[in-house]
Amino acid sequence: MKTDTLTTHSFLIKQLPTATAFIDTNFKLIYASDKWIEYFNLEYHASIDKYLFDLFVEYDEEWENCLKNCFKGSTEQGLQSKKNDIGEEKWFEWSNVPWYDEQENIIGVIIKTEDVTSRITSELKLEKLEDLFKEQAEISKVGTWEYNLITEEIIWSDMTKKIHEVSKNYKPNIETAINFYKQGHSRNTVAMLVHNGIKKGESWNTKSQIITKKGKVKWVISAGKPLYKNGKITRLIGTFQDISKEVQAEIKTKESEQLLRTLIDNLPLNVYIKDTESKKILVNKAECDYLGKSHPKELIGKSDADIYNKDIASISRDEDLHVMKTKKPILAKRTVNIKKDGKSTSFLTSKIPWLDINNQSQGIIGISIDITDLIQKEDQLRDLINVTAIQNKKLINFAHIVSHNLRSHTANFSMLLDFLINEKEEDEKTRIMDMLSHASDNLMDTLENLNEVVDISTNVNLEKKPIGLNEQITKVEQSLAAFLHKNQAKITNHIANDINVKAIPAYMESIILNLMTNAVKYRHADRDPHIILSARILEDRTTIFSIQDNGLGIDLKKYGKKLFGMYKTFHNNTDARGIGLYLVKNQIEAMGGNIVATSEVDKGSTFSVYFNDKD
Amino acid sequence: MTKINSIYIIDDDAITLFGIKKLLRRTVECNNMYEFKNGKLALNAIMHQIELGQSIPDVIFLDINMPIMDGWEFLNEFLKLPIDKKIIINIVTSSIDPCDKRRWMEYKAITKHYLEFKNKPIFSIDLEDIKRIYLAS
Repeated sequence: MKTDTLTTHSFLIKQLPTATAFIDTNFKLIYASDKWIEYFNLEYHASIDKYLFDLFVEYDEEWENCLKNCFKGSTEQGLQSKKNDIGEEKWFEWSNVPWYDEQENIIGVIIKTEDVTSRITSELKLEKLEDLFKEQAEISKVGTWEYNLITEEIIWSDMTKKIHEVSKNYKPNIETAINFYKQGHSRNTVAMLVHNGIKKGESWNTKSQIITKKGKVKWVISAGKPLYKNGKITRLIGTFQDISKEVQAEIKTKESEQLLRTLIDNLPLNVYIKDTESKKILVNKAECDYLGKSHPKELIGKSDADIYNKDIASISRDEDLHVMKTKKPILAKRTVNIKKDGKSTSFLTSKIPWLDINNQSQGIIGISIDITDLIQKEDQLRDLINVTAIQNKKLINFAHIVSHNLRSHTANFSMLLDFLINEKEEDEKTRIMDMLSHASDNLMDTLENLNEVVDISTNVNLEKKPIGLNEQITKVEQSLAAFLHKNQAKITNHIANDINVKAIPAYMESIILNLMTNAVKYRHADRDPHIILSARILEDRTTIFSIQDNGLGIDLKKYGKKLFGMYKTFHNNTDARGIGLYLVKNQIEAMGGNIVATSEVDKGSTFSVYFNDKD
Repeated sequence: MTKINSIYIIDDDAITLFGIKKLLRRTVECNNMYEFKNGKLALNAIMHQIELGQSIPDVIFLDINMPIMDGWEFLNEFLKLPIDKKIIINIVTSSIDPCDKRRWMEYKAITKHYLEFKNKPIFSIDLEDIKRIYLAS
C-alpha cells in the first residue's frame, strides 16, 4: 500500500510541468519531475534515492544550510547562477519549502527551480543600456525632452536641465521652455518649428541660442519629432545639445581664417598653395589679379599646365616635385612665367615644402614677387651704362688722340724753332723754315681731321633719309672718275636698283668714298684694281652693303683690333692718313649700324656695312 | 768728337728724323747713320745684319707711334734676338701717356740693354745717350 502510494506519487511528480524535487531529511532524492532532471542534466533512475549533493559536481554549502533551515520549518527563496557543462551561465530562481506529512511532521523539503536566464539577461542589458545612455549624455552633452500634448507636461532629462542651468526639480512648461531661447531669430525659429511639429507633424533640427537661467548665452542644437497614437499626434520628443564650445571653436577658426585671408590678400606678393598633384588649393588676390581671375574659385583645382604654356608648366612641376621630395625650399629664384596668351612676367619665386604633422610633404607653398618692371629698369640701366661706357671709351680715346697728335706737332715746332734761333747758315735756316711751314700744314690737317670726328660725335640729331644705294654709288664714282681712270680700276656692281637704305646723306657719301678710295689705294702691285659691289637684305630688314677688292689685303690676326683705330696705318703708302676708316666707323655707328671686315693678305679685302633701317 | 760705329733712327716723322740727325751731328761722328720709317723695316735690317755676321747698331732712336710695326712691337721682337753686346735704345716720343711710361719700365726691367725714355721735343743729345764708356765691355 505504502509502495503503491509512493509509485503513484512518483508517477505524478515526474510529470509536473515545473522543475520540482522532493528530498527527505537525509538529503536523499525521493521524487523529481522530468523537468528538474532535465534542468540539471541528470539521469532519472540514476538519481532517485541518491544523496542530493552526490548528484552535483560542486558541493554547495549554502544550499545545504538553506535545506537544513527548511527542515526546521522555514521557507527559503533565492536567485542563483550556475554554469552548465558547456560554460553557459544559467540563472535560477529557486524556492525550498518544508515537506509535511499528514501529521504536519517535516519529512523533507520540496525544491522548486525555475530557469530565469532570459529574464535576468534582458534585465541586465537594460540596466547596462541605461548606464550607457547616461554616460553618453554626459559626454556628448545631449539631453532629451518630451512634451505631452494631452497633459501639456514637459519632461526634461537631467542633461537638458543642466544645459539650461536649472535645478533638477525644475518643471518647465511650453511657454517657459520656449522663452529660454534668445529673443529674436532663435526664439521665433524654435516657436515656429514646435508649432509646425504639432500642427503638421514636421520634424526639426536647428541651431540656435538660448539664455540659461544664470544668464549665460549658449549655442544649442535642438531637434524634435512628433509621436502618434491612433493616428493623432500626442507627444513631441527630441534631443537638446550644447554646442557652444564647437561654435566658439568654429568662430575662432573662422576668425583666424579671416585674418589669414586678409593678410595674404593684401600682400604685394603672389601667394599660392598647391597639393601633391601641383593643383592649387589656395590662391591670394594678387595671384588672382595676375592670372586675370575675379575669384579664387576659378583657380582652385587648376594646375600650372592649365595656366601656363607647356614648357613653363613642366619646369614649375619639376620644381614642385623637387621641393616635395627633398623637403627643402627653393628661395628667391628668378623665374619667367609665360601665360597662355603669351604674356611674359619675371618673378622672384620661393617654394616652401608644406609638411603634415608626420613630416610628410602634402604640397608646397609658393610666394612670388613680380620683378618684371625691376628687370626692365635694370636692362635699361645696363644699356645706358653700356652706352655710357662706350662713349666714355671713345672720349678717352679721342682725348688721347688729340693730345698725342697736337703734342707731336708742337714738339716739332719747339724743336725747329730752337734750331732756327741758333742757326747761322742761311741755307740751313731756309731748310728749317720750309720744315716749319710743312709742320704747320700737318697741324692744320690734323685739326681738320679732328673736326670731322667731333662733327660726327656732336651731330647726333642729323636726320636719316631713305637713299637709293646705287644713286649714291654713281655720284661717288663720278667724283672719283679721274682717280679711278688713272688706276685702271674696274667696278662691277651687283646691287639692284630698288635697294634703299635709311642713312644720313653726308655720311653715306663719306662712307662710300672712303671705302672705294681705300679699295683702289691699297691695290696689289701685280694687278689692276677690281671692285665688286653687292647688297642684300636680311630678314630683320637690315641691309648689308659689301665692297670687295683684289688689293693687298691685311693680316687681321695682327691688325684686326687696330683696323678702325685713329691714325693707324698698315701699309707703306705715303698718303695713308689713318683717319678714313676711323671716320667711316664713327659715321656708321652714329647711324646705328655696324661695319665688319674680312681680308686675306695678297688676295684682297671685303668691307660689309650693316645699315640699321629701324631707327 | 766721340765716334760711334752705327746708329739707327726709327721714326715715320720726317721732321723728327731731321732733328735727331742734326742734334747727333753736334755730338758724335758716325759714318753709319740709318733711318727707318717703321719698326718692321728696322727689324728686317737688323736680322739681315745678324745673318751676315755684320755689326749691328750701337745706338737706336725709337719712335712709338708708327704704321705697320710700332715701337713696342719692334722692342718685343728685338729683345728676342741673339745679341751679345749691350745696346743703347732711346725711346723718343711725344706721348705723355702714363701707360707708355709704364711699358717702358716693364721692358727696362727685363732687358740687358740700356733702355731710355725721352719726351719730345728734344733740344740736345748728351754723350750718355749714345755711349756708356764706364760700363762698356
